[in-house]
Amino acid sequence: MGKLSIVLFIINGLCSLNSFASPHILPNMVHEKVLKNGLKILVKEDRRAPVVVSQIWYKVGASYEHDGITGLSHVLEHMMFQGTDNLEPGEFSKIIAENGGRENAFTGADYTAYFQTMEASRLEVSMKLEAERMQNLKLQEKEFEKELQVVMEERRLRTEDKPQGQTYEYFKALAYTSSPYRNPIIGWMQDLKDMKVDDLAAWYKQWYSPNNATLVIVGDVQSEQVFNLAEKYFGPIPAVAFEPVKKRIEVPQVGVRRGIVKQNAKVPYLLMGFKVPVLNSVEDDTDVYALEVLSGVLSGGSSARLPSNIVRGSQVASSASAGYDMNARLPTLFLFDGTPAQGNSVQQLEEALLQQIKLLQMDLVTQKELDRIKAQVIASSVYEKDSNFYQAMQLGMLETVGVGWQKADEYVEKIKAVTAEQVRNAAKKYLNEDHLTVVHMMSQGGSDES
Amino acid sequence: MKVNGQLIVMAVLILVSSLSMAVPDIESWETDKGVKVYFVATDGLPILDAKLIIDAGSARDEEKHGVAALTSALLNQGAGNSNAQQIAERLESVGAQLGASTSRDFTTISYRSLTSEKELKTSWQLLKDILNKPTFPLIDFERVKQRTLLRIKQREESPGTLAQLALYEEIYHGHPYANAIQGDEASVQKIQREDLKQFYQKHYVANNLRVVLVGGISRQQAEKMVQDLVADLEMGEKMTRVPAVVLPSEGKNIHQEYPSQQTHFMYSLPVLKRNDPDYFPLYVGNHILGGSGFSSRIVKEIREKRGLAYSAYSYFRPMMEKGPFLIGLQTRNEKVQEASLAVKKTLQEFIQRGPTEEELVAAKKNLIGGFALKLDSNKKLLNNIVGIVVGGVPLDYLNHYMSNIEAVTRQQIVDAFQRRVLVNKMVMVTVGQAVEQEK
Repeated sequence: MGKLSIVLFIINGLCSLNSFASPHILPNMVHEKVLKNGLKILVKEDRRAPVVVSQIWYKVGASYEHDGITGLSHVLEHMMFQGTDNLEPGEFSKIIAENGGRENAFTGADYTAYFQTMEASRLEVSMKLEAERMQNLKLQEKEFEKELQVVMEERRLRTEDKPQGQTYEYFKALAYTSSPYRNPIIGWMQDLKDMKVDDLAAWYKQWYSPNNATLVIVGDVQSEQVFNLAEKYFGPIPAVAFEPVKKRIEVPQVGVRRGIVKQNAKVPYLLMGFKVPVLNSVEDDTDVYALEVLSGVLSGGSSARLPSNIVRGSQVASSASAGYDMNARLPTLFLFDGTPAQGNSVQQLEEALLQQIKLLQMDLVTQKELDRIKAQVIASSVYEKDSNFYQAMQLGMLETVGVGWQKADEYVEKIKAVTAEQVRNAAKKYLNEDHLTVVHMMSQGGSDES
Repeated sequence: MKVNGQLIVMAVLILVSSLSMAVPDIESWETDKGVKVYFVATDGLPILDAKLIIDAGSARDEEKHGVAALTSALLNQGAGNSNAQQIAERLESVGAQLGASTSRDFTTISYRSLTSEKELKTSWQLLKDILNKPTFPLIDFERVKQRTLLRIKQREESPGTLAQLALYEEIYHGHPYANAIQGDEASVQKIQREDLKQFYQKHYVANNLRVVLVGGISRQQAEKMVQDLVADLEMGEKMTRVPAVVLPSEGKNIHQEYPSQQTHFMYSLPVLKRNDPDYFPLYVGNHILGGSGFSSRIVKEIREKRGLAYSAYSYFRPMMEKGPFLIGLQTRNEKVQEASLAVKKTLQEFIQRGPTEEELVAAKKNLIGGFALKLDSNKKLLNNIVGIVVGGVPLDYLNHYMSNIEAVTRQQIVDAFQRRVLVNKMVMVTVGQAVEQEK
């Protein structure tokens, strides 16, 4: 590992000396270590600023929950700030603040993560605190009751009072049958109302352990020093035996699903999704990278097909986009969403999008389109290096969903290798009606027209 | 007490001196056209970031509300001999990024490219075309205008957006800041393509432009590139200042009925100009009041103690003329009275007595200890320089930032809040359903 790092840093140096070189893909230099208790540590040294990002990722999130306990992972994330055996509620945040740090946490379908950004010399402060709440969380009834109210307010803000947010919730519940992705990350309101502090205690005990976590550190640090600190604070925490999460693979979809969601909205909205595989669910990743390129062909910039053909060209859409998360833990949806332009209906927008898909199934995408996507991913791979936080996110997420952080290094080469035939094959194989879910959001008075 | 206070101040001083944070030097020059350029050379990444700051904010709309925003939205829809498609293809074929956004004070064009030769040349030429030769094609004008009208309609799907619009209308009544940046339905309907051309010709001129660059190129390269960028630009006339803001004569409560589960609450008045002598006391004070998340008083009172809201905050937004001081939160309709009384009481207590010595020390530790975080990427550095440039503060502002924070006293905070945050002139806006209140 050490040897490799020297070579790679020299390449890095050359890039910065000669700013007129052709665009290089800057290498990722990640140091990895696994403690005896199973905690995985990933370190990326970046000395551009005297700052460090520290993130701890737990392999638990909304897709680990089952009916009746939805929202549990997210409420637990909130409670992680509400005191431990050795810290008063709020004291964690107070100590980080006094050390000049910024902190927060986020919960997704496949992960729960906590982070601090601090001046580099303060790394030890964050490690000490994270190790404390990994093992000594103190769940108190009074704090729980109050925090549950906060989460319900969060749900009202993000979902109940947001027409498109609520529509997306109904859409997912229609699209998925047996996959846990059908439930909202924040949880159904009824499940929040029924939640007990004991549910949280059991969830915490089940998932919060060193052998279910990844610590990611990016910034002005030395990997050996980080490993030593991690050993000091996390090393003594015992591993916990736990049952792996049930697979819960989505049953095959055998026909189109349609729904209408009426909302207190002024402008109608369309959501469409096709069932697709992800890196984590396939042996051969050809289709997955082809779908990634496909999303670039449709939606990767203002010259992509949706803005060119249906926003500017036919002007059926006021806005339209496509997207795909190849790094989800479980098979997911290739999504389309959009708003019809003035005088057009959601129905017309749906037809226009299906027409774009048909073109991709009949004709090969052009070399020019593939070249554009290639140029964009190369540039993005450099731009990403301007943010320590983003780099840490990428490593933590890939590791936590089970793909492995090394995949980040393959990304550009894999995208470059995708051919026009592979894109057409993927479009034929996955973007067909039997795998499709469509939801039309109707505006006030039941109109589907802008 | 006094001894204690001194000890704490000492501790903070040690903290400051122990931080050997290298603050980058901002280089500055003028092009032949008199355009001011600000530049920081960074190494490590082959990226160039730039922002063009144009004195063409929505405060310049006059009676055509929305014209500034529409003009900036059309810049990349046609320039020179290229149409929107060709511009987008050329830009994206080299992985570069371009965007324009309009605030009340400025229109800003943001640019990011790799510094390798082909990529940089291609994208910089596009930036030049867009700045110098936009064509405002009729077909794109009509389309973007319709999209704007749809978005104006969509504002009514968001109680938070409605609250903010109602608030600006009230606290800036009669001032150009009162209007929505995108305009309103009636005003946008009336805007014609010719209006955009006229707005462009008057505002997008050398005298109203400043250029900020951060990235992996040399000073000589930067000089040459900006010189070329503005070579063909009209000199034009420098815009005069936006009129001063007149404070409302008395406070006011405004309620808009809206069928949401939560009521959005905002409580505000215009206070702070850029480069204001009270900036540091107000900024540090607000950090303690409601500007620093979990450690601020408003979050403690509203969220941590009572569980009333997910997000509760206060901020000062410095603008060219007095920008708002604003306290905001959202809570379920049944609780808006409890929440608004609690937040007002928190503010009043803070104005009367200011922070405790302990709170002040903690805030300074956070701001000074976190200084390095403000500058840890090219993007953040760029935004800091933009702030310095439009604020008209000295270029070595960042070198004195920590000592300015460190020098703020409790007395200065109390004094500044009492003079500037005039509760009897504050406007309260609520958008939600008026229902029977829960205790």
